[in-house]
Parts: sequence; C-alpha cells; structure tokens
Amino acid sequence: MTGARGRVTASLRWRVLLALSLAAMVPTVIVGALAIMRARDDVEREVDRGALAHIRALGAGLDGTLQDARRTVELAAAAWADAPDDVRATQLLLKRLRRVVPIVHALAILDPAGTLEFGDPVPANLDVGLHSFGGYIGDAEYVDGRMVVHLVVQARGRTGELMGVFVASLDLGFVRVQLADARLGHGARIVVVDGAGVLVASQGARHGAEAASGAHGPVSLAGTDPAVDRALASTVEGTLSANGWVSAYRNLSSYQSRRGVRWAILHQQPERDAYALARETTRDTLVIGGAALAVALALGWFFATRLTRPLAALARHADAIASGSTDDPPPVHGPGEIGLLGQRIDEMARRIAERAALQSALARGDRLASVGVMSAQVAHEINNPLTTVLGYAKLLQEGKPDGHPDRDALGLIASEAERMKSIVGGLLEYARTPRQPERMTTASATSVAASCDPAAVLRHVGALLEPQLRRTRAMLAIEVTATAPLAIEAHALQQVLVNLAQNAAQAMAAANIEGGALAIAARPAPGGIATLITVTDEGPGVPPADRGRVFDPFFTTKAAGAGTGLGLAVCKHLVTTAGGSIEVGDGPNGRGAEFRVVIPHAG
Amino acid sequence: MRIVAWIAVALAAGACREPAARPPAIRFLHTFGPQETELFNTTMAERGIAVESLLAPFARGQQVISEILHAQNCPDLIRIDATWLPGLVAGGLLAEAPAALVALDWTPEAAALAQLDGVWWSLPQSVDGLIVLHDVETPAPASPSLADLLAAARAARARTGPYPLGIRVDGYWFVPWLRDEGGELAAPEGIAGEGAVRAMTRLAALFGDLVPPPPPSGSEDPEEMRRWDAHEVAYVITGPWQFAGLRDRARIAVSPLAHAPRGGQLLVVPRCAKHPGDGWRLAGELTSLLVEARFADAFAAVPTRRAALDAAPALYRAAEAALAGAAMLPRVPVTPLLFDDLQPALWAVVAGDATADEAVAGVRRGWQRLTKPVARPAARPAAGPALAPEAR
Repeated sequence: MTGARGRVTASLRWRVLLALSLAAMVPTVIVGALAIMRARDDVEREVDRGALAHIRALGAGLDGTLQDARRTVELAAAAWADAPDDVRATQLLLKRLRRVVPIVHALAILDPAGTLEFGDPVPANLDVGLHSFGGYIGDAEYVDGRMVVHLVVQARGRTGELMGVFVASLDLGFVRVQLADARLGHGARIVVVDGAGVLVASQGARHGAEAASGAHGPVSLAGTDPAVDRALASTVEGTLSANGWVSAYRNLSSYQSRRGVRWAILHQQPERDAYALARETTRDTLVIGGAALAVALALGWFFATRLTRPLAALARHADAIASGSTDDPPPVHGPGEIGLLGQRIDEMARRIAERAALQSALARGDRLASVGVMSAQVAHEINNPLTTVLGYAKLLQEGKPDGHPDRDALGLIASEAERMKSIVGGLLEYARTPRQPERMTTASATSVAASCDPAAVLRHVGALLEPQLRRTRAMLAIEVTATAPLAIEAHALQQVLVNLAQNAAQAMAAANIEGGALAIAARPAPGGIATLITVTDEGPGVPPADRGRVFDPFFTTKAAGAGTGLGLAVCKHLVTTAGGSIEVGDGPNGRGAEFRVVIPHAG
Repeated sequence: MRIVAWIAVALAAGACREPAARPPAIRFLHTFGPQETELFNTTMAERGIAVESLLAPFARGQQVISEILHAQNCPDLIRIDATWLPGLVAGGLLAEAPAALVALDWTPEAAALAQLDGVWWSLPQSVDGLIVLHDVETPAPASPSLADLLAAARAARARTGPYPLGIRVDGYWFVPWLRDEGGELAAPEGIAGEGAVRAMTRLAALFGDLVPPPPPSGSEDPEEMRRWDAHEVAYVITGPWQFAGLRDRARIAVSPLAHAPRGGQLLVVPRCAKHPGDGWRLAGELTSLLVEARFADAFAAVPTRRAALDAAPALYRAAEAALAGAAMLPRVPVTPLLFDDLQPALWAVVAGDATADEAVAGVRRGWQRLTKPVARPAARPAAGPALAPEAR
C-alpha cells in the first residue's frame, strides 16, 4: 500500500515536474533559437554593411585621388591642345604637371597617330593611337620594382579636334598608403586588384596567394579567390562567403583595364572572426538559456514537491482512516483546493471517529446490560434470604438484654445484612434501567424513541441538588446552550447528572474544599449530531491511572462503607444505553475533574 | 530499422553514381549597364543557363571587342551596338546566324538592323533611335519635320517657360540636322561641306534659345528627368531608353522625327567561338518573348519580335512606329569612330569656343586621319626626368 502510494506520489511529482519543465523549456528553446538565428542574421547583415561601408569609403578615396590626377591631366591636355607646337610652353606644362600631380611617375605626349612627341617613352604594348579612346587607365604594371598604371587622356583643342594623347604613368604607391589608414577587424584584410585580378595593394592579413608567391612581382588572385572573380565579373558591389572567408567587393569606378574590366577593392575576413559576435551571442544565449532552464527545473521540483506533499499526507491520512487507527494524524495544510480537501478529510475522520466511539459505547452498553440482567436475577434471589436474615437478626437482638454477649454479634449481623441489601438495591437499580441498544444498531427498531429537553432536565437537577449543595457549600452553575432534544429518558439523564454532581460535591467536601465551583453545562457537540454535557468541579480530580476503571462496577475511591462503587457504573450504563458516551478527564486549567457526557440527538 | 537500411542503401547508391557532367558556362561578352546585368543574371539563373559574363563598357566596347577577338580569346556570344557590326563583318570575325533563328517573327526594322548586305550576321536584341517625346496633353508637332517641331516648341513656350525643347550636345543628335541639310555622317566625302556647317550652326543656335544651355557633361540624364517632372519641357528629342527613367509612363506620348537615326543592339557569335551553338542558344534565349518582355518592361527596350511587340504596352508600339521612318547610320566600319571627333566639335560650337566652320574643319581632319594614316615623326625632347627606355 505504501509502495503504491509512493509510486503514485512520485509519478505525480514527475508529471508536475515534466509539465513545468515543458512549460519552461519550450519557450526557452523557441526564444533561444529565435535569438540565435536573429543574432546570426543581424551580425551577418552588419558585417556586410560594415565591410561595404568600409570599402566604399576607401574606394571613394582611391577614386578621388585618381580623378584628381585625371582632371588635372585633362585640363593640361586641353590647354596644350590649343598650342601644340609651342615646345617651350609644352615643356613648362609637363614640368608643372609633374609637380602638381605627385603620383605621376612618367609623362608623355603622343600625336594622334601614337607617335611620341614629348616626355618619357611609352610602352609599346600600350597601343595608344588613333583608335584609342581617352580617359582610361590600363592594368597595373611593375616598373623598376614599383607598381604603376598608365592614364591615357585625349588632348582636344578649342574646336574639339584631337591634337594628341597624354599618357601619365601613375605610381600606385598611393593605394598602399591610403589602405594603410584602414582600421581592420581581427584577421581582416583589404585588397585592391586590377582588372586582371593582379594584387595592387593590400592591408591586414596577407592573402594566401600572395604568401604562396613569395610576394615578389605581380601576383594574380584571379582564379584563386572566388570573391575576386566575382568582383571582376560584376558592375555592382556585393558580398560573398566562400572558402571560410566573408568578402565584400566593390568596383573602383575610375579604374578599369583596357578591356573595360573595372578594378575592385575587397574587404575580406575569416568567417570565424567576422561572426565572432554571433558565436558569442549564441554561446551566451545557450548559457543563459541553460541556466534559466536549470532554475526552472529547480523551481519545478520545489513546486512539484510542495504540491504533492499535502497529497501524500492526505493519502496517509486516508490510509489511517481506512485501517481504523485511533492515532489522531496531524491536520493536513495545503494551498487552495488541497487545503480544502484536507479540511474535509479531517472533518470526515472526526465524524467517523465519533461514530465509532458511539458504536463502541453501544457495544460496551450491551455487554454491561447482560451483566446487569444477571446481577438483577442474583440480587432478586439474594434479596429475600437477606430480608429473612436481617429480620431474624433484629428479632434475636431485640430478644437479648443489654450486655448480653450475643447482642453485639447480632447487631453486626444486622448491619452487614443492611449493607448487603444496599448493594443488592444498587444492583437492582443498575438492572432496572431501560435497554435500548437496538435503536442504534438497527434501523428497523419499533420501540418508541426516548426524548428529553436538556434545559428542563438541567433545571430540575439544579433544584434537586440545591439542599445538598447548601450543606457542602459547593457553588453550582448551570449553563445550557444546546436546545436539541436528546435521545434519553429524562429521569435517566437526571439520575446521571445527580450522581455526577453528588460525586463532585462529595469529592470537594472530602478534600475540605468549601465554596468550590460545580458547573453543569450542555452545548452542541462537534458534528451537530449530539449534545455534550460536562460536569466539572474543583476537587482533587481523578488520577489518570484510575480513569479507565472509574466506570467499572464496584470500583470506588471512597472510604470503606462510604460508597457501593455502582454510581458511575450506573451512569455509564444509562448513558451508553441511550447511545451516548461518558469519559472523565482533568477539569479546566488542570484542576478538578471533568466528566464529559455525549448524548445523541433524538429523531 | 528497415527504413534506416533503405536510406543507407539509397545514400550509397547516390554516392556511387557518376556525377552528372556540368555543362560548360556560355561565355558572354556584353555592354550591359549595372541594372541590366543584374536582370540578365537573374533571368539566366531562373532559366538554368550557366553563363560566364564578361563586361565591356559601352563607350569602348568596339575597341575591347576587337582586341579580344584578335587575341582569339573568344566568347561564345557578344552583344554589340549596331554601328559596330560593319567593322566586325569587314574583319571576317563573325559567324552567320542559324536559319532557324533567322526565321523568327522579327519586326522589319529589327530584321534590317541584324543584316548586312542581305546576310544575317546577328540577332537583333533591341531597336532604338531618336524620336520626339512629349506629354500626352501636348499636341504633337504638325509633321515630323524639324521646322514643325521647332514651331511647336515655340508655341509651347508660354506654357513651359523659355526652353520647351530638350536636345543633347551629342553627335548622335546632330544627325537629323545634318540630314536635313542634305548631308550624311559617313558619306564618301565625310561630313565636310556647307551642309554640315549650316547644320551645326542651326543646332548650336538652339541652345540658349529653345533649348537650355547644356548642363555639365555627365549630368544630362538627371537634368532631363528634372525638367520633365517639372513640366519645364514640351518636347524632348531622345530615344525609347528614356522611358525607363521617367516617373509616369502614362504621361508619355511619342512622335516621329524626320531624318532621325535608327540603331539598336545586336547579338553576334564570333567565328572563333569555342561553342557557337551555345552562343546562338543564349541569343535565342535573350530574344525569347519572355526575356524581351522583361527587358522591355525594365529598360524600355523596344522588342524586336513581332509577338513581343504586340504584347508590349501601347507606348512601345508607338515608339516602334515612330522609328519606322528613321534611317540607319551609314553601315561602314568607320561610322562609330566619327563620333569621337564630332562630339567635342559640337561641344566647342555650342559653348562658343569655336565657329561651326572651325569645328567642321577639325572633324574633317579627324576623318582624314581615320581613313588615311599619317607618317609618325620622331619624338621631341621631354621636360623633366624621363624613364630610361630600357627600364620599360
């Protein structure tokens, strides 16, 4: 039984814990997953935005530098085209141009057919001439260990006629200088490639292809880096994740190869570095989510235990009731409906206990009634010979003169016979009380139910006791708050209460207590099915050791000859015969004795 | 357990199967702008066609294409301007179009554009040229002639302000005036002659009269949009490509322009292409009804297929009708090169830096250089430090 109850309790606890865990885990997992995904998306977007913004700014700087050089050369070319034959003015112009555009490494003027007229020799492969268009640069070239690019500008005169072509070789060292100012994240790099994918300059972590080449001479990243290939095939900016790198690319609008492919600037960063924030957010989310889950489980365990503990107590309580245990289990406290259920079970247990006590009392009443019947028969048989013995003893005593040696012996025989008649009278009184056990044990009883008004009985008892109590100087107090009629004959209840009150008064008198309080009170008993009548005094009380025997016939604590020991036995017999109970305990405040009589209500 | 076994078997079977051979990407050299490139890439991705794109800026497309083809680094398909076709054909660089594609329902203007001397060297992707664009509530000029256009513009001045006409300082815009004076851009004698001078004088005189002084080079597009949106212009000489940039296409009406040039974009397959079949397949895709409709919608390209044109909005059909009377530029290799000299000459006249006589004389000398190469004189001394020749 205990094992089954334990399993039930454990199962319920685990179910509650599971429900609470699910209630905590499901939203935690969903919110956590959303947070992780959102963080990843946000970080990816911000990485892309940041990288694009970075290369836009850097690209604008590179474009601006080249545009400045281009416009200056264009302006010089237009000025030269108006007087192309003035050698001195041309030489002066080239001199000033070198000074104004510091990135110019070499400068040349060609006629429309591509023939060098002024300045530095032009590479043969540049193919500048009649069919070339102006305003472009080519791809990067290594010259004297430095990287240069050739800017080609048409020189058209006042009428728009083509008078020649300016070719300016620009030192690309400025690209490296401008990139050096870039502030890069961990592991990141900025790369500028020309239209053929040749690495012009880089900043930050070295490119793998650059490292593999030994970094001497031009290094082409085309075909080795998907981001570079994408950038060179595109006319717009974009981002790409490939080979563990996050790349943002953008074309440099002012730079393009002779075949028209624009140069590109790229921001590249290893994914593990670029998305470190997302990874940290994921880790933090998992840690916080796990902690929240652990707390939720702990709280779930706490609340599950707290919820099931009163249920387990209720189960034990119910087991105790079912097994008929007389131990009074502690009351079950719990929240809400569980507490209410505990109260209801306590109430039910109390009523069952009262009912059991009543039934037990009835059982005892039956047994005592049987003893009473037998005692009555014995008393009846003894009473007649005793009368004869007493009569003859008195006659013989009267026939003897004073001082006769038999006179005292005959007087003793007569007095003992008197005492024996008193005992027999008590037995007959005990046996004369009505027998009504069937009324409590069967619903089909045909006897007329007894009934009395407790208030009337207590008033009558007060009147009967008044003369005696005046002699013993006891202070009687009667209190009646119960109004329901009781299932007992009025004279029986009266005899019970008179016996109890007389015993109380005698006890206080024997203890030389004058003016002791003697209270008789009738009030409704718990459960609403009976009335509790208490008789309390301030006498010496009944020792606990005697409380189990004071209702036994012939048990008395009075002096020899002062009592028959049948008064309380008769009380108990009368009470239990009416379906009630009687018990004795300490009086109020631990003083004196209190007799508690419970009589069921009539009807 | 049985399901797991089946999955394992299926995975093993998949792993053991020979990977499908990926078709090689079609190499496509084009002169699309950024937005056109994005739409092209998206369209090809949707249609599952692998394309390796090579870009060339339109301004230098002819030079770039010529270099690439002479270097035998041939793409499978090239998009070119119609004026470049004669040069490529003369160089023997192109392959003829397959008959199956030639037989499609091309519009007459598109068909004429794609052929040279009766031979289909290309597929037409779009047709364009100069037309007169005006508001639907603005009356069309009485006739396509320049005189009636200018008269209508003068009449609209009270409504729009001092400059009711929109023209660009561009050699292409000079063509109608040149033709109106009896000249032609690449006639055997070039543009030299009294007709060219008169044409340039007449055109330049419009700026500051009916046409506002030209904005700085490179800002023509936004300035035209602003004037159109502000109703400051009644008539704009432009091409259908302008539709895409205008906000309210329902406002737009078009009228023909006398002597207008007509051109377009062509798809050609070089003779040296490694996969010419793939090139023509991609050309077929780009001229399919779906793709033509997409490009027409996004970039106002007038469709070249009759079915696509019939399904296009009325504005595009009106543009095609207006272009029907336009004439193609002389189909000789030198034609596109003339614009390099014509453009700055026109600018010089409009800006007042040169007279029309001076500018036309300069263009004539440029024409002579293009057709008669001159000897190269020796180089003169340079100013400042020079690189040693061996350093190069």
